[in-house]
Amino acid sequence: MDITLIVVLVIALALFFDFTNGFHDTANAMATPIATGAMKPKVAVTVAAVLNLVGAFLSTEVAKTVSGGIIREGDGGVQITPEMIFAGLIGAVVWNMFTWLRGLPSSSSHALFGGLIGAAIVGAGLGSVDFGVVLSKVVLPALLAPLIAGVVGYTATRLAYTITRRRDDKSERGGFRYGQIFTSSLVALAHGTNDAQKTMGVITLTLIAGGLLTPDSGPPFWVVVVCAFAIALGTYTGGWRIIQTMGGGLTEVKPTQGFSAEASTTATVLASSHLGFALSTTQVASGSIIGAGLGRRGSKIQWGTAGKIVVAWFITLPASAAVGAVAALIATLGVTGLVIDAAVGAVVIAGIFVVSRRRPHDQGSAIEVDVAATSVLSRRRARRAVRKGRVDTPASGVEAPFVRMDDPPEPVVAPRGVTTTDDEVR
Amino acid sequence: MIDWSAFVVVALVALFSAAALVSLYSLGLRLLTVEGRTTARTAAGYACFVVCALGVLYGIYLIVPGFHR
Repeated sequence: MDITLIVVLVIALALFFDFTNGFHDTANAMATPIATGAMKPKVAVTVAAVLNLVGAFLSTEVAKTVSGGIIREGDGGVQITPEMIFAGLIGAVVWNMFTWLRGLPSSSSHALFGGLIGAAIVGAGLGSVDFGVVLSKVVLPALLAPLIAGVVGYTATRLAYTITRRRDDKSERGGFRYGQIFTSSLVALAHGTNDAQKTMGVITLTLIAGGLLTPDSGPPFWVVVVCAFAIALGTYTGGWRIIQTMGGGLTEVKPTQGFSAEASTTATVLASSHLGFALSTTQVASGSIIGAGLGRRGSKIQWGTAGKIVVAWFITLPASAAVGAVAALIATLGVTGLVIDAAVGAVVIAGIFVVSRRRPHDQGSAIEVDVAATSVLSRRRARRAVRKGRVDTPASGVEAPFVRMDDPPEPVVAPRGVTTTDDEVR
Repeated sequence: MIDWSAFVVVALVALFSAAALVSLYSLGLRLLTVEGRTTARTAAGYACFVVCALGVLYGIYLIVPGFHR
């Protein structure tokens, strides 16, 4: 009875984590094509969702360890119990929701690691965590990923601008939009193959721990299916706040920059995953965008926003660890503790959701795409759109080149079905 | 503790592949929009895009584990 309850709870929570992972990371692939108008917002998230779904089915190798070596699992180490996984997932989900509320792109895997670390420290003591691995797998990559991606993005952007230097009135740079579609799609596909696997691994290991699967067995097909759909649904829902931050909050992205940034993200992510130096996609994507911003003369980087993002990266691990630790502490009460955990977790998540509605960056599925579209218009295009009376939802991008997360625009509710500014964006 | 040689390899490979892809695509755009297009230029422009497309296909090859394991 006991073991069944915990298994069900872990599976439900793992799937919700998969969902938050999806909508947290839509921005990595799709923020720049949405910002430059290469794809309409709805089309972009649909493409990303489909590619995540496909990618999840393509990934054959499911993680053998939950924590990737950060916690001393297995022989001679601690036994990771389903309770620990549950508490860790609560930490990861709560932190993911919080960073989403603040529009901060942070790594979902680091949140998961953090939650598990917190839970493991409470459940099995400080010695269960390999802090050397924490340093080499989480802390240093967090410094290096944006650095590499920034240099690559800067170089690519400078090259692109040099090669397509304007000689007469003609500009060929609009053509970069088509290229963006391909590079962004690659990022989305890579995300699907990597990240859905993690949840599949967590669920499979829980089933093994609960005695419902034999050890060393792969994930059952239904696990693959539900994980694939959870991450695709999350991606389709689209974390518009994070898309705004990465598409317009860091710097104003032009098609040339968008293409260069996305090409850098793709190249860096693929190189890192195939040459044995794992980097977080989220951090690479943010670094590429900053590099691309530095690469265009006259473009401004909002270093305040960039700073907040970096701070979020570094507190992701300790913050989700703290939540995970508290959850693990409550879980020691037994079944009652688990139920309390689940209830408190649900209340916190619901609370974050309610707060997000009060300060809506997204409002109803039809309108939210307009908000996303108008808030990332360049000033010039926005003025033109206003003149033509095409802007129904003058989000802050119309007045300011970037969206501040602290004072979101007054939501102007547009009637559904009104022609949007999508044509202008294109 | 941290594999610096792997890090340098990743950085260089990423730098060169991204630079190559972006350069080729930009060159293709330039060749196809330049004044006074000749057949040779048009062909060269399309050739650039074809090479870019091959790069994207190679990316898909790398992403899909079934292709190389």
